[in-house]
Amino acid sequence: MNEEIVEPAHRALEERSRTVFNESVDSLDMRTRSRLNQARQAAVAAAAMRAGRRSWLSRMPVLTSAGGVAAAAVLGVALWSGGPLGHHSPVPAAESTFEDLDLVAASDEGAGDAMEMLQDDIDFYDWADKAASSEPAA
Amino acid sequence: MSGFDTLTAAWMVWDGPAPAPRGVVLEQTRELDKFLAEVERRAFRIAQVALRDPDDALDVVQDSMLKLARNYAERPSAEWRPLFYRILENGIRDLQRRRSVRKRFMTWMPGPKEDPDNEAQDPLDSVADNSIAAPEQLMQDQAMKKLETSLRELPARQREAFMLRNFEGLDVAETASAMGCSEGSVKTHYSRAVHTLRKQLGEVW
Repeated sequence: MNEEIVEPAHRALEERSRTVFNESVDSLDMRTRSRLNQARQAAVAAAAMRAGRRSWLSRMPVLTSAGGVAAAAVLGVALWSGGPLGHHSPVPAAESTFEDLDLVAASDEGAGDAMEMLQDDIDFYDWADKAASSEPAA
Repeated sequence: MSGFDTLTAAWMVWDGPAPAPRGVVLEQTRELDKFLAEVERRAFRIAQVALRDPDDALDVVQDSMLKLARNYAERPSAEWRPLFYRILENGIRDLQRRRSVRKRFMTWMPGPKEDPDNEAQDPLDSVADNSIAAPEQLMQDQAMKKLETSLRELPARQREAFMLRNFEGLDVAETASAMGCSEGSVKTHYSRAVHTLRKQLGEVW
């Protein structure tokens, strides 16, 4: 049987039932409309919250990379400004500094590690910075 | 010192506001709100016809909206309609299944039994309505009651096919997607539903 060929009587039934259904939708009471509206607002809020959380999470790789760069910059500044490491290093100071900088920058893929290292040794960097600024010229 | 400038810039990147996605999220949220506003009342009536209970119907529609919003909001909006009705029909079926399990369980329990004929009657239905309704409104209500009764007598799949195709205007492919069956099955269910309804309502309509 071909479904596309519809008898006129069936067509009339479809149209009449559709009209009756649409009218019943239009005549829904205010209480039901209000509850449906509240349900919709809750659903839309849930979608927005979820989308917002996801967009923040999607920035995390960029943020961790930025953190890695920041850690490298701090270490580089501390070493380049002539910290105490330079006195004990067997290699010339400038060369040692750039090697260290490369090491930290190389950990950019696992930038979380660089950040952890920075957090763990923050006292050391603080000390290194103070030491560098207060050290008398040799 | 230029080194610290770089560091500041890095922290600005870290703490800066979310870029483009915020606008995208806003647009998507507006679109979802518009879609749900279009379908919520119709979905409620469909659920009410199937479940015979307005509170259950509201619960199912609410769940369906939440599920669509949580799981499929990022899909293209053209996909929302069949997805939403699929979720809705699944919710209706789950509730009907739970009811039948509860009814079976209740028959084994001592105490008063549920009267199946009286099961879905709202106590408020027996309260006299003193409001004066227009004759057209009364005719419309009567027509809807007859249609509802006939729809409830249909097998569930036929009822689903008829309501989704005829009331919601889903095409065969969308209806098949919403019902989780083949397009051929949709055509068969729909054709049978129309024939049965024609027999039942033919004299009145």
